[in-house]
Amino acid sequence: MSVEVEVNENDLAEMVEQVWESYLDPEGVSPLIPTYDENQASEVHSSVSITGSWTGYVVYASSTPAARRAAGAFLAMEPDEVSEEDLSDVLGELANIIGGNVKAMLPPGALLSLPQVVLAPEATARYPNTQRISGVYGMWDGEPVSISMWQSRGDNKEGAE
Amino acid sequence: MKILIADDSRVMRQIVIRTLRQAGFGDHDLIEAANGREAVEMTQSESPDLVLSDWNMPEMTGIEALRHLRAAGNDVKFGFVTSESTPEMKEQAESAGALFFIVKPFSAERFDEVFAPILG
Repeated sequence: MSVEVEVNENDLAEMVEQVWESYLDPEGVSPLIPTYDENQASEVHSSVSITGSWTGYVVYASSTPAARRAAGAFLAMEPDEVSEEDLSDVLGELANIIGGNVKAMLPPGALLSLPQVVLAPEATARYPNTQRISGVYGMWDGEPVSISMWQSRGDNKEGAE
Repeated sequence: MKILIADDSRVMRQIVIRTLRQAGFGDHDLIEAANGREAVEMTQSESPDLVLSDWNMPEMTGIEALRHLRAAGNDVKFGFVTSESTPEMKEQAESAGALFFIVKPFSAERFDEVFAPILG
């Protein structure tokens, strides 16, 4: 069995805030405003899996304009100058950064995957035998962004290093 | 000095470069590798003075690249810039000969703190 997760919503919110401070909103003028709506719509998403001491997924999902804006902020470009390749790269990196920070809070023996990016709504993804255990849901400059954690159920623990 | 930045994300390489500039290290010669294998090859062919490497990369991970270089007798200054930081990873990095461990998200201040003693 995976251990009980030790990363709660406040921890996740803190990691998300650091990403905003460092990359998406360094001036501190457009924070992610919480909506607490776990069913808010998305158009694109990215995820990393974690296996070992805890097994599950960390998923970043947003609207396309929010993803474009994130890529623009990462690359110091205007959102409409961002290519699809850059947009995918940034989405993957967002899942990677948050997933890596989640992993750092887990007991030893967890492995992080490379990110998977899908330019389709999060609702199209299926993470078998998982349940959502935590999430940060908000609006960024009027556009939906969410970060959620999905824990695998059952005795599907994979071997650690 | 020549600095090699190894990360499979082009965007993250650009951010590392931008942050190096913000921290006042933009005058150095900056070169890029897209995975661990390329990092090893470029370290051997280009002889950088410093390597900043991601941990989790396709082809070859950052820690594998570092071990490969050390096994080949290369003692380039090498450190990690990664979203993952667990005590066991830091131990592995240190015992393989890494000089530093910077966690994403990072700031220009953090770069300055780590690189000022190395780059002067």
